[in-house]
Amino acid sequence: MDHLDKQILSALQNDFPLSERPYEVIAAKVGADVDEVFRRVQLLVGEGAIRRLGASLDSRKLGYSSTLAAVRVQESQIDVASQVISDYPEVTHSYLRDNEFNIWFTLIATDTGAIAGILEAIRLKLGLGPDDVLNLPVQKLFKLDARFKAAD
Amino acid sequence: MKSSLSDLEKRVLAVLQKGFPITLTPYQDMARKIGIETAELLDVLKRWRDDGKLRRIGAVVSHVKVGLGAGAMVVWQVESERVEEVGTMLAGFPQVSHAYERPASDAWPYNLYTMVHGADAAEVDETVAAMSRACGVDKYRQLQTLKELKKAPPTYIKGV
Repeated sequence: MDHLDKQILSALQNDFPLSERPYEVIAAKVGADVDEVFRRVQLLVGEGAIRRLGASLDSRKLGYSSTLAAVRVQESQIDVASQVISDYPEVTHSYLRDNEFNIWFTLIATDTGAIAGILEAIRLKLGLGPDDVLNLPVQKLFKLDARFKAAD
Repeated sequence: MKSSLSDLEKRVLAVLQKGFPITLTPYQDMARKIGIETAELLDVLKRWRDDGKLRRIGAVVSHVKVGLGAGAMVVWQVESERVEEVGTMLAGFPQVSHAYERPASDAWPYNLYTMVHGADAAEVDETVAAMSRACGVDKYRQLQTLKELKKAPPTYIKGV
């Protein structure tokens, strides 16, 4: 990744222009030709440096509810549990973590009732007790800034 | 709270949730899919940006590819009267991307959550130790991610 790639990545991350021809705005910003900028974006997508280009929305302000949840399952149950959990389209991310609560996942649904319903369904499908499921909705946001500077 | 989006907004969301096409004219291409003018789509997005529904438009960059290979969720057990102060302090670390207060329970007594990033595990450990010293909280747990099981953008509108 050279200097121009990093400049392009930074420009793409921070504020993709709301304009009919966004790459022309970015090209002007980084001082390069628009065709060169777009060619490099295609390469960065191709090699996986850019996972996705899109809108990051505030699900709560759109009228949806979200939460972070965790379940405590037996080692032997992990594969089945991760399948059951990942099958819900409302589950956006899920991770295996080194803790007694070993599967953690984020959920976005139409309201808190829908979230509670999905968590209860998961609990029953996996035969878990009430204490084996955590529902951890955000009470206060201190920071949300998932932008990263490309390392030099 | 139920979604109070207009029909137009729902149609925009249904296309937006799939991510932008990698084309020179992404808004024009999405607008065509929605069946509206490019200017209309840009108007909706500008309105959403102004009222906070739209946080940001941009690339999601792979942490690994930009040299931030390690990350951990660190959960902190903080006395309720210090949550505000400690949350603000931890959020101030540049290595922290997310900081939230979440409810504690008997089964899980932690109430502050931070995502901490670094080049490698040692760097993350160092940052976490510095965070602990800075806020004077030593009841915390660092949860390593062993495996990513699913990572998908939210599905707001199903069946599209």
